[in-house]
Amino acid sequence: MSIKIGNEKYDERVEEGLDNDFMRQAVSSAQGRFRSGKQKQADELGNWEDWRTLGSEIRTHTLENLDYYLQILSDNVEKRGGKVFFAQTAEEANEYIQNVVKEKEAKKVVKAKSMVTEEIGLNDALADIGSEVVETDLGEWILQLDEDPPSHIVTPALHKNKEQIQETFHNKRGYEGSDTPEDLGLFAREQLRKDFLSADVGITGCNFAVAESGAITFVTNEGNARLATSLPDTQISVMGMERLVPTWEELDVLVSLLTRAAVGQKLTSYVTSITGTRLAGETDGPEEYHLVIVDNGRSKILGTEFQSALHCIRCAACINVCPVYRHVGGHAYGSIYPGPIGAVLTPLLDGYEDHKELPYASSLCGACTEACPVKIPLHEQLIRHREIIADEEKDTPIPEKALMKGFAKWASTPTAYKMSAAMARTAMKPWSKDEKIENGPGPMKGWTNSRNFPAPSETSFRSWFKHRKKEEEVK
Amino acid sequence: MQVSLMITCICDVFASNVGKDSVELLEKLGCEVDFPTNQTCCGQPAFNSGYLEDSKKAMKQMMKAFVHSKYVVCPSGSCAGMVKEYPKIFKGDPVWEPRAKKLANKTYEITQFIVNVLGIEDVGATFNKRVTYHPSCHMTRILGVKEEPMKLLKNIKDIDFVELPIKEDCCGFGGTFAVKNEAISTAMAHEKAEHVLETEAEYLAGGDMACLMNIGGLMEREGKQVKIAHITEILNAGMNE
Amino acid sequence: MTIQNRDAFLENVASHLGRNRRTEGVERPKWSIQPQFDVFKDHSKDEMVDELEAICDVIHTDMKRTTKQNLHKTLHETFTDLNGKTVIASSDNRNVEFGLDTFYKNFESSGGHVHLWNEDMEEENGLVAERADIGIVFSDITLAESGTTVLFNNKYNGRAISLLPHSYVALIPKSTIVPRMTQATKMIHERNLAGDDVASCVSFVTGPSNSADIEMKLIVGVHGPVTATYILIEDA
Repeated sequence: MSIKIGNEKYDERVEEGLDNDFMRQAVSSAQGRFRSGKQKQADELGNWEDWRTLGSEIRTHTLENLDYYLQILSDNVEKRGGKVFFAQTAEEANEYIQNVVKEKEAKKVVKAKSMVTEEIGLNDALADIGSEVVETDLGEWILQLDEDPPSHIVTPALHKNKEQIQETFHNKRGYEGSDTPEDLGLFAREQLRKDFLSADVGITGCNFAVAESGAITFVTNEGNARLATSLPDTQISVMGMERLVPTWEELDVLVSLLTRAAVGQKLTSYVTSITGTRLAGETDGPEEYHLVIVDNGRSKILGTEFQSALHCIRCAACINVCPVYRHVGGHAYGSIYPGPIGAVLTPLLDGYEDHKELPYASSLCGACTEACPVKIPLHEQLIRHREIIADEEKDTPIPEKALMKGFAKWASTPTAYKMSAAMARTAMKPWSKDEKIENGPGPMKGWTNSRNFPAPSETSFRSWFKHRKKEEEVK
Repeated sequence: MQVSLMITCICDVFASNVGKDSVELLEKLGCEVDFPTNQTCCGQPAFNSGYLEDSKKAMKQMMKAFVHSKYVVCPSGSCAGMVKEYPKIFKGDPVWEPRAKKLANKTYEITQFIVNVLGIEDVGATFNKRVTYHPSCHMTRILGVKEEPMKLLKNIKDIDFVELPIKEDCCGFGGTFAVKNEAISTAMAHEKAEHVLETEAEYLAGGDMACLMNIGGLMEREGKQVKIAHITEILNAGMNE
Repeated sequence: MTIQNRDAFLENVASHLGRNRRTEGVERPKWSIQPQFDVFKDHSKDEMVDELEAICDVIHTDMKRTTKQNLHKTLHETFTDLNGKTVIASSDNRNVEFGLDTFYKNFESSGGHVHLWNEDMEEENGLVAERADIGIVFSDITLAESGTTVLFNNKYNGRAISLLPHSYVALIPKSTIVPRMTQATKMIHERNLAGDDVASCVSFVTGPSNSADIEMKLIVGVHGPVTATYILIEDA
């Protein structure tokens, strides 16, 4: 897997999403819970906007000095016995990790949930060298057994119901228990505990690295990242190059924003910061530690109007408020990064070619921008994508371009505008009936297939106003 | 007080009653209303579709049209919000940035104008119906107008006001989104319509005609009896002359 | 080669940022606002204990209040409630101060088994942790707002103690309570500045392990402990 998932066309993916009633219901209720949880936390703090401001300032400063902080970070990881590999591309990252795994002759690798490893397609790369990779986040494990991509960046198996999960467990692991989440969870615990104890290498992502001391922080509720960093002798953390903070003090702020915005918790059950290898006398924690810092297209975003998209802390707050996501689900985006942030990031990281519909998969309602804990102007960046597609990529349908040229002419020439306003009712007459249009021409069809459109008013406002003025003057 | 009405292209052509109600309402509240006839469209259709240069032509026309106005009042949160974005769009343009700022600074959505500039929260209207209200996305999130329409509505005599569930959700209009992503847009409009029906309101009010046309057009197609009304229509109803 | 490809990578980052590479002289700015210091700003320790108790309901954690004098009794009850026969504990230097050494002796003589984390017994540490009913540690810093116990894992307090056993028991001296994560991270930051190495693992543990990955239904106890008990000890 890489950023792009599946080969279906956008329209097909959307249709599948809209037709999947279970998924829509599940997503809708999940969004409701996420939103009220986040709202409750914000209300309790009482000054959420101040927190957002601080979060945004920290992210802005860090990104502007990214080279500096990455240098400090790598120096500090080295000081604590870790090895650091800077990977420009997904291939470089995968190759390095493959080599570590090969050198350790590792048969089993346990992984804690990580979006960046999904992004670079690490599991496939490890499968290529014959290594068994076990995803240990409950949701990720379910998806791995079922060979299904994630549909949400925090709760990846949101689109599946418990009956489907029960069936998967039965088919793949011989599970005979009930379909209650408790029993399913207990089964996963037992199965995965064996994997943790027998794994040679643990691989995690990284929520935030702390430059000043070289600590890598994981935020989970299940505890799988703690297990993956405590038990195997070799540990590899993979981080997107932007996921760091200057000091522990900023870690506090961003973790506080993340857990509140993502799951409505003050802190998740486990926030774990590990630094390098185990120290003398310690009997758990890795003996060998690797940090892989991944660019994979991120540097191209720096210095552009999209730079703030790299502020993202992967909380999914934008996804949880997005009405488009609610109706089509995560898979419709065709990317491991769905929702508004996915629509912004995916074309940046993976090009417009396969993802040019995504910037239009938004009504620009701005709920995402309002929800973002680090103030990424998501809907504005979607418009900017549309500009690039329209102006630079020359990739929009020709009729739209002609239409917009026509619009510009119309809206900048008052005489033309006035004339059309006066003519509109007559012009729309063939399609109008009882003051409404039920079957409009051309692009209007997209509207009138499901909705009536009003016929132009009998008298346009400006002609009413003009005549009214005259009457008043006569009076 | 002299105010200029920015009618919006949609209301000009498809909902001229909104313009009439706006004029009458403002006059009853003591304003003298003029209508600069060279106004066209705020540019939003092209801007939101990514046609920046095309949209700027429309925006420049609007800046010219309202150059002599003291206050510009608009019965749309979305169009007023667009005008508020002009300075950002023309940033660095020596000729147009100052003009953009001028227009942005004097432009108000109509409920915002009544409450914050005129200082009126009770316009003296009477409306004996069950009404719910959809706070449109651009009005609330881009323009930041949330409380003003509620204050005005709740002070209407005899009104039976009922809150719309999950009111902050988009109705699915979104300009060209409504036709480009027709199926998603319709699904969103459906959900919104369901919430409206839950309220058992006779009227769905709002501050943006395009959103109301979207929700109303769907409800009408499906034979639902709920009427749509721009907020000015309700505020202008049964007002003391 | 412990750091690979760094220069080319960072030069590229700098060039996209439109400037020369920065290798020194970057100062953290003074942030315009710092709301994190306002939380429970004027709370007394007792008020913070109340906050901790309130949040324990939310994080599925049983909280008990006791004193140094009554600690044995409270621990005995706790171990009985949790049906704890095998216990793994940190070799904390506070064990003696709080009389745990004698408690563990008594516990063993009444049939229980206690393993104190031992740097010379790598294999046994892991094996016991995996099958222990209870893992018991002292909280190094306790966060009132979130109900979090902060553990500096080291050779006396292995990571597995608070992770593998069925039940997590944290001893919380009242003196360790601070308002929130802010005070803990500030302390770590200051110690780091002073040249002290940060622990190889800092664990912020808040209640038992859980997941909502199946239909958004909360399951308590997924990979880590299934239950959590906090024992607050008056130590002033």
